[in-house]
Amino acid sequence: MKLAFYPGCSLEGMANDYARSITAVFRDLDIELVEIKDWSCCGATAAHSLNELMAVTLPARNLAEAEKMGLDIVAPCANCFNRLRFSQIMIQKKIIDVPWEVTAKSTVHEMTRFLAGPEMLAKISARVRKPLKGLKVVCYYGCQMVRPPRITGFTDYENPRTMDRIVAAVGAEALDWSYKTTCCGASIGIGRRDIQESLTMRLLDKARQTGAEAVVVSCPLCQANLDMFRRNKTGANIPVFYFTELMRIAFEPGRACRRWFRMHITDPVPLLSKKELLR
Amino acid sequence: MKGTEDKARKLIGDRGNHFLKRMEGETGANISACFQCFRCTNACPISHYMDIKPHQVIRYIQLGWREELLQSATIWVCLSCEMCTTYCPNEVQVAETINHLRNLAAHSSVAPREKQLALFHQTFLEALHHFGRVNEFWLMGALNLKPGVLKEKIRTGALAEEMALGLLLLRKGKLKLMPHRCRAMAEIRKLYRQQRGEIG
Repeated sequence: MKLAFYPGCSLEGMANDYARSITAVFRDLDIELVEIKDWSCCGATAAHSLNELMAVTLPARNLAEAEKMGLDIVAPCANCFNRLRFSQIMIQKKIIDVPWEVTAKSTVHEMTRFLAGPEMLAKISARVRKPLKGLKVVCYYGCQMVRPPRITGFTDYENPRTMDRIVAAVGAEALDWSYKTTCCGASIGIGRRDIQESLTMRLLDKARQTGAEAVVVSCPLCQANLDMFRRNKTGANIPVFYFTELMRIAFEPGRACRRWFRMHITDPVPLLSKKELLR
Repeated sequence: MKGTEDKARKLIGDRGNHFLKRMEGETGANISACFQCFRCTNACPISHYMDIKPHQVIRYIQLGWREELLQSATIWVCLSCEMCTTYCPNEVQVAETINHLRNLAAHSSVAPREKQLALFHQTFLEALHHFGRVNEFWLMGALNLKPGVLKEKIRTGALAEEMALGLLLLRKGKLKLMPHRCRAMAEIRKLYRQQRGEIG
């Protein structure tokens, strides 16, 4: 199986650990990821905030490149996925013309949904060497991955279960909680720290109340927001994992994971050692 | 809002539903269908921080109060989290409408209420124009060099916090100092020129 991979800008910088864990997990699952040749930024929030035309044309360039490769696209970042889908729909409906040769027929997969299909889940369960027994987590999906449903195609947008299924397949316990798709504040912290902190704090408090030992995410910006939040200097923070990191721990316990965890602000190693998951 | 009553009388009289028709035409959103059920405002995670609440935004458009909307903080603090759009019973695309107002404000002479947020979006697009991809380190650097930003950050003490965070991220290996330069830059710059109305 072969897929065109659109990493997105975050995976080159802040979320380099996510990028590495994705590479490792897809190699373990025998799926070949081919990075889209010379991909460019999807424009993110800035493009649709200031220029709605650019919000369609910027992602369209990447859709065109992927079409040249003749492969379906998979995007790990929630916002990139949302923008690519948006652009694709606008092109399909012929609302906006783009300067590139693109039919927008190829499928844009959201990474968690791609891995949570029944076949892939079976493949994941078969690959698990060390189930993550006794690890209680909550899965946090955020906004851009599930909303608006007419763009993302999620039918269970109120209670998405894709990551819960993956986390259960690798043996951890995914707890139910009601803040799965509540916004984490995204990039508003740049101008309004107060808003971002109130939103992030609410999520982390609720996660702790639910009894979670860690939060599992799939979006680089959500991870950064939740991981970097500090209530005070003594307050204990809970680690925030990318779902691919948990998969990799279950697939290959004790190999190469520690290097990714050094990139986390809240150190997840004490929790994992306590659960004896790192050997 | 000060003196809204006088203004309302005047604006409705002068312009009729011109602004409403324009917004409906440009966004494709069914703004006339709103019956003020408040679901958007109740769903919004940050309606508390908005000066004009989401359901009011829709009402203001119906009344043609363009200036109030373009000067509001709402259009800049909106996170585009799409809660309002998702839960609207009449499929009024509230988030898309607010986003379009932000577009209008950015291309108007109205000074944005949340300067830092507006500058951030602008700097983001400039970084994209430079490199084709966006690099966090350069983005924040470029933002700090914009007029007034550094001064404001020193005044509020945010600069020291930001420096500490930057150092932490650098130590953790989360910052990529040199941006990757896309080889297809010519195409992207041509796109920018076309959007600005120059012939590429």
